[in-house]
Amino acid sequence: MSQRALRAAVAVLALAGAAVAGYLTWVRYSGATIACTTGGCETVQSSSYSELVGVPVALLGLLGYLAIAASALRETELFRIAGAAVALAAAGFGAYLLVVQIAVIGAVCDWCLTSDAIAAALAVVTVLRLRAWAVSRTA
Amino acid sequence: MRLYVIVGGIALAIVAGLIAVSLLTGGEDDSTSATATGELAGSAETATLLRGIPQDGIALGSPDAPVTLVEYADLQCPFCAEWARGAFPAIVDEYVRPGEVRIEFRGLSFLGPDSQTALQTVLAAGEQDRLWNVLHLLWANQGDENAGWVTDDLLRGIGDSVAGLDTERMLAQRGSAAVEGEMVSSQQSADLNGIASTPSFLAGPTGGTLERLELTSLEPEEMRAALDALLDR
Repeated sequence: MSQRALRAAVAVLALAGAAVAGYLTWVRYSGATIACTTGGCETVQSSSYSELVGVPVALLGLLGYLAIAASALRETELFRIAGAAVALAAAGFGAYLLVVQIAVIGAVCDWCLTSDAIAAALAVVTVLRLRAWAVSRTA
Repeated sequence: MRLYVIVGGIALAIVAGLIAVSLLTGGEDDSTSATATGELAGSAETATLLRGIPQDGIALGSPDAPVTLVEYADLQCPFCAEWARGAFPAIVDEYVRPGEVRIEFRGLSFLGPDSQTALQTVLAAGEQDRLWNVLHLLWANQGDENAGWVTDDLLRGIGDSVAGLDTERMLAQRGSAAVEGEMVSSQQSADLNGIASTPSFLAGPTGGTLERLELTSLEPEEMRAALDALLDR
């Protein structure tokens, strides 16, 4: 993939992730009924693991995705490093939360699974983007 | 290579920090009982049970439901709590969620001060159409009669666990004219229908005459039979 294509992929995936996290954040604060195909979304969203010191995890996810999307705005080393670091962290924390859903809460939220998949894809794409930049620097 | 170490290190530090905070604040997640970290008993089940079911003031369920069930209860009554924990979820899943039955809550407060505080709070939650969430959580956390268990801490914990509920507004509206009016209305309804014990139930066609249900058990079977007869099935 070209550097341009990788940058576009980062932006698109991050905005998709922001849409998912934004929806979960909106549900959290509005009290609206969550659309759910697994039947476990409400259980997951009302568990004590859905917050970190009072801040909804969905809101943290939204901020993380927006930060990754912002990292696609410029082609500098700092932006690429920041994008890759946040995406890897999002994927890692998403994996931890998936284990919590299965092993501790006993319910799985399809929105969370979608977010996990997006975060994993972002981790790959942002690292590829970083690698492409590093290769172009040494070429 | 150094670049990847830097990125990986930053990511690892972020993940480790997030997981550490999550483990410290999430703790032992058990949705059926209170935990050391303050997880409220019944919060997950209540959210799941009532998710997506319309609420309007004291009513739970579709306004177009052909049958209306009225429940008279005192928040300190142990048999009411037994009914709420045992039969109520089955009735909600089988009759209310499908839109066949709507339930109205008529709260009474004859057992003492805790009954009154709890009832005022429940009715105040009804002003935000979250009465049934707060009610079910109070049943799940019911304490000994007039032991002072209906504390502001408990009510705040309950309020904060209900999505879409403004806890402070609920607490502030406990003494409102609307809440007072609803309490008087429920007591008058109970007097009119000769309700002398709780839980007691009336049922009938929505908008029509409701009849007293004479239940001999708090299990859902008798209620199912009565509702099935009204639904003609």
